[in-house]
Amino acid sequence: MTEVVATNQTILVVGGGISGMTAALEAAETGKQVVLVEKRPFVGGRVTQLYKYFPKLCFPTCGLEINQRRAKMNPNLTILTMAEVTNLEGEAGNYTATVKISPRYVNENCTGCGDCEKAVEAEFDNEFNYGLAGLSKRKGAYLPHKMAHPMRYVIDPAIIGTADADKAKEACKVGAVDLDMQEEEIKFNAGAVIWATGWQPYDANKIQPYGYDRFANVITNVEFERMADPQGPTAGKIVRPSDGKEAKNVAFIQCAGSRDQNHLLHCSRICCMATLKQTHFVQEAYGDEGKSTIYYIDIRAIDRFEEFYMKVKENPNVTFTKSKVASIVENRENQSPILHGVDTEGYNRYANEHDLVVLAVGMEPSVDKGSFPVDIVVNEEGFIEPAPENGGVFAAGCSSDALDVNRAAQQATGAALRAVQVVNRVAGMEG
Amino acid sequence: MSDLNTAMAAKYRANFLKEVEAVVEEGETVKMCMQCGVCAGSCPLGKHWAHPPQEIFMMIRAGKRDEVLKSDSMWMCTSCYNCIVRCPRGVQITHVMHGLAYYAKRLGVVPEGQPTQQVSQLFWDNLMKGGRVNELKLGLSIYFKDGFGDGIKNAMANQKLGMNMMKAGRMSPMEFLSGHTIKDNAGFQKIIKKAQEIEDAKFDGAAK
Amino acid sequence: MAEEKKFVGFICTGCGIGERLDAGQLETTAKRDGKMQDVKQHEMLCNAEGVKMIQDEIGGGATHIMIAACSRRAKVEAFNFTEVAMTRANLREGVIWVRPDTDENRETTQEMADDYIRMACAEARFMTKPTPSGEQELNKHILVVGGGVTGMTAALEASAAGYPVTIVEKSGALGGNAANWYKSIPSRAPYAEPQDTGIEGMIELVNNNDRITVHLNSTLASTDGAPGRFKATIAEESGATTEAEFGAIVQATGYKPYDPSELTQYHYKDSPDVVTNWEFEALAKAGGPIKRPSDGKEVKAVAFVQNVGQTSKDSGKLPYHSGAGDLIAIKQAMYCKALNGADCDATILFNNLRTPGAAGEDFYRSAQEKMITFSKGDVSEVVPGGELEVKFKDLILNEDTAMKADLVVLDVGMMPNSGPDPYAQLAFEEAEEGSEEKETLRQALEVAPPSILNLKYRQGTDLPHLRHGFNDSHFICFPYETRRTGIYAAGPVRRPMDMRQAQDDAAGAAMKAIQAAENAGKGMAAHPRAGDLSYPSFRKEGCTQCKRCTVECPFGAINEDEQGYPVYNEARCRRCGTCMGACPVRVISFENYSIDTVGQQLKNVDMPDEFSEKPRILVLACENDAYPALDQAGMSGIEINPWARVIPVRCLGSVSLSWITDSLNSGYDGIVLMGCQKGDDYQCHFVRGSAMAHERMSKVGDTLQSLNLEPERVEVYEVAITDVERAPKLINDMAETVEKIGMSPFKF
Repeated sequence: MTEVVATNQTILVVGGGISGMTAALEAAETGKQVVLVEKRPFVGGRVTQLYKYFPKLCFPTCGLEINQRRAKMNPNLTILTMAEVTNLEGEAGNYTATVKISPRYVNENCTGCGDCEKAVEAEFDNEFNYGLAGLSKRKGAYLPHKMAHPMRYVIDPAIIGTADADKAKEACKVGAVDLDMQEEEIKFNAGAVIWATGWQPYDANKIQPYGYDRFANVITNVEFERMADPQGPTAGKIVRPSDGKEAKNVAFIQCAGSRDQNHLLHCSRICCMATLKQTHFVQEAYGDEGKSTIYYIDIRAIDRFEEFYMKVKENPNVTFTKSKVASIVENRENQSPILHGVDTEGYNRYANEHDLVVLAVGMEPSVDKGSFPVDIVVNEEGFIEPAPENGGVFAAGCSSDALDVNRAAQQATGAALRAVQVVNRVAGMEG
Repeated sequence: MSDLNTAMAAKYRANFLKEVEAVVEEGETVKMCMQCGVCAGSCPLGKHWAHPPQEIFMMIRAGKRDEVLKSDSMWMCTSCYNCIVRCPRGVQITHVMHGLAYYAKRLGVVPEGQPTQQVSQLFWDNLMKGGRVNELKLGLSIYFKDGFGDGIKNAMANQKLGMNMMKAGRMSPMEFLSGHTIKDNAGFQKIIKKAQEIEDAKFDGAAK
Repeated sequence: MAEEKKFVGFICTGCGIGERLDAGQLETTAKRDGKMQDVKQHEMLCNAEGVKMIQDEIGGGATHIMIAACSRRAKVEAFNFTEVAMTRANLREGVIWVRPDTDENRETTQEMADDYIRMACAEARFMTKPTPSGEQELNKHILVVGGGVTGMTAALEASAAGYPVTIVEKSGALGGNAANWYKSIPSRAPYAEPQDTGIEGMIELVNNNDRITVHLNSTLASTDGAPGRFKATIAEESGATTEAEFGAIVQATGYKPYDPSELTQYHYKDSPDVVTNWEFEALAKAGGPIKRPSDGKEVKAVAFVQNVGQTSKDSGKLPYHSGAGDLIAIKQAMYCKALNGADCDATILFNNLRTPGAAGEDFYRSAQEKMITFSKGDVSEVVPGGELEVKFKDLILNEDTAMKADLVVLDVGMMPNSGPDPYAQLAFEEAEEGSEEKETLRQALEVAPPSILNLKYRQGTDLPHLRHGFNDSHFICFPYETRRTGIYAAGPVRRPMDMRQAQDDAAGAAMKAIQAAENAGKGMAAHPRAGDLSYPSFRKEGCTQCKRCTVECPFGAINEDEQGYPVYNEARCRRCGTCMGACPVRVISFENYSIDTVGQQLKNVDMPDEFSEKPRILVLACENDAYPALDQAGMSGIEINPWARVIPVRCLGSVSLSWITDSLNSGYDGIVLMGCQKGDDYQCHFVRGSAMAHERMSKVGDTLQSLNLEPERVEVYEVAITDVERAPKLINDMAETVEKIGMSPFKF
């Protein structure tokens, strides 16, 4: 049974992505007791699936390493993975959280040696690579990624009850595989709650004219990020999923689902910068032969990121076309997507063939007001408003708006203070 | 310039967008356009437009009143509604295009010989006679709209279609002689007259 | 009486270590060469039983423990023994996982493991458990510099958490720029209308708050000390001064608007009816309909020209964008509609409309609903006159055109109100007298702004600039980091931002300030080595007062006394060790990280003779990036040459040249140094560490020459955490180089 020591001076952080981790660490490093609840088997969230950050083109795992070391070293922080908050009762200064913990089938004895992975045979699409999952498989016993924290394997529930599961158990020399592990439900107290459940990429299938579901060579920006990563499904090669050939002429379609009343009403803020960054991947892979075309409505680089935009604009291999692409058809002969639309700067109709299309899909908030455990104020777009009515629940990062990493970390640090204010008030009343 | 055209131009002076908002069907949605061009790109007849919808919207904002109203672009719309479905900002493009065409017609500034406009007029005149469309006469009037020689050519070219329609009972040669009307044609004419009055009053009011 | 030391080693035989290596041999090595008084083996040291075994030994008097198991990055929670000095030998990721499991490799793999045991034991022998210095003080009082929206918010937020705050404001009133605004961009859904700024209410809250003290008409005459014990002299305009002590500082000195006077095409200086967006606020705030400055006529048509003097590389313009300019234009266009009637035309001439997020896009749509006209256009000229003419290229209609307006509003950017860059001051001091460089620097300093903090720091008076005068140091993962510990920038002095963002930012900075104050009270380091209790100290008798440490510290932590000896300020120190790397006479050390803890590791490696065909390659790897990359190589089964001996370092900046010369003198055949990316887009968490190391190592050539060794025996690389394949390859390449050029003759 998982035990959590918590009081109404404890801060509960829901979601262990960059925002949740930042909020949790800042509070814990200020001496507060923090419990962080993360749905996935590891912390770090979606930034673990990014290859590089804009505008420095540095690696997210670099900051992740620091944050994970901070987490490992800090005695004030308890992390629960594969866990979800199913209920929250009470008010600021006195909440009771109910948390459901799914069985990992691997206990804390796990050393991360990988013997179980070698022993099992069943393979699954690797969800870490989003829709490119089919290009790379993972075993039924797996470590989600090489820097996963906790560094502890996971056994896919699908192999429980099969011979594979027994193989995993037999292979483990340290008794870490526990096939009888059951789902648990635990309750504990918290004085304040930081809600940092982040975002999900907008479902590209809903943008029917782009044919994401029909054309192999139409992928999303989060998938392209995996593709560029040397640890990813194509070992870092920029290729066409249809035939594995080099993708040297890449189209980026901005606002794929954003700024659109038929999809997401809001501007997702990060996609322009993400695309500007991803043109670098094309350039790095193919030099002057790598061509990128960005189809956009407005380029929103914003404040200091504009410098990065200016740099990309100077690159003769990158073309900017002001246009929301109308539709994509596939050239049957070579599976190349052909983009149809109108460049609205001066009215030029185009039918452009590219090797690969990257849809810059937007951020959909992972906040479901309908099933939210307490009453909160959510705006039309689904983000949590900074409303006093929310009591001791504070949104951090992309639960509050579409934010880039810098702004998410900034906002999460502020959210940590608001939680600290609540628990300090509790402490004051009690002490 | 027609009186109405002069009056409307004077009333809204430089602000054509306000004029469109006031008098064109769904004209109030024009201001929401953000120039993404998905309407132009999704239009199946797009390449026939001298000015695609988003450009017309920009021209409206830029006050290019004459250029817009005298354009034949909005007459290209076939009401497929692709643009409305795709527009991220809810601009009622199809309706606005028809609204602009109608407004231009009303102001008497439609380009001479604009075929869609001619066909619409023939359809309307045909419909107004008996409260229903006389397919045979409509077809013939369209064929012959550009003169007798063209009419014969058009009729010959579409002979098979006409025969099939007759066989299927969708068109009767007898219609050429008299053609039947709806039961209460007189009542229908009254309704139309009243509607016309209301519409005229609207423009009279708008021009003041 | 010195505490009695007891050294105990623990060897884990789990995860294949026992199968691949001769554990008995390892135990012998730890005892014989490593001088461990006792060595225990366990088949799974990290499980409850293994951990208990270690705890029992600690209970039994062990003061120094050596754990030979997996990487120091693994099982950190299990092996968390803060009560003793601890080292770890990486036998799993570092040895058995990077070596093939074959008979012919068994010997070299065992040698590798034996060496790592010797190294970890040596490290343990030369380190002590870090304890706080006693310098630390808990002072919860937060100093906020600047009484605008950001400063007031920081003060209110910190006070709401129970912390006393003092605001020092230069002007005679709180409120800053925003006090002059008519309204602000909406901060709550539905993001449709401008809202009251709320400044007056805020000022009242500040004035009525018992925990907040306000000094108006005041500046900081001097700021000395360190987190937990900052001493500030607050000088009033009247001449009166107040001395006060603080735990941490938030600098919220805001921005000033860009002056478009030099951009003559806008005729800003020629026409009173061409105003900046900031000036336009006053016209709206004056009450009633907005009137033209020239003749008092109510405006009926206003043109907003966006992105003036911004996002340009041209000299005199800003290379960045204010970010909020388009939202401000929308807000102000709404003023026109609200104050001058719906008939008032408001046209926004933009190129890329920057209204991001949910709030931004909602506000944009709301403006369109209000019939505000948006035109994608490049403005070429504003022609002054009774009726102004704005000439522009309509980018959609692709034509040069013009529009008439009664008033033209220029969207000018925000420039940070930061103090002078301390490194510009230092560069001036160090430049050669009479040189051209010195003259250029002097001219730059002449136009530099006056100091804000007046820090009594060796490295200058103010927060260092990152780019364009903004005061942060890591603008992605750790937005609040600055290069002066315990002093956090917030609001537009950190990054251009609007009021809503500035308020969020103020809360975050207040959080960091509170944290810095609390941790200074415990003697704990601030980010990124949060919680670290070790701190640098120096042996005065050996010090030559060369000042390298005081100059090279990336965080300006070290001052100099009158004689030029370094004065460490523990609470200002980030524990990177750059000072240690800088010291030519090896007198600087940390309790658990010193010239000896590393130097003895490399000396304790068994050095086979010149004819053994067993070279030794020393690898010094940044513990945050290169070392994890090597760990991941192990996890991926990528081979690393058996001659390599890897030592993680806190930062490549901490690498002492003495380690390099010692290694070369004691027979190492090759040395590979792995640090982070340096330069403008530096990835070094200690900002300058990697750059300093590269600079210092460029001088290794002399040493090599004096020893008559080939220059290719020492390589310095920038290695990223993702270089899982490249990092091992760099080591293997060195092995090939050694094979080519031959073994070092310096084997003893």
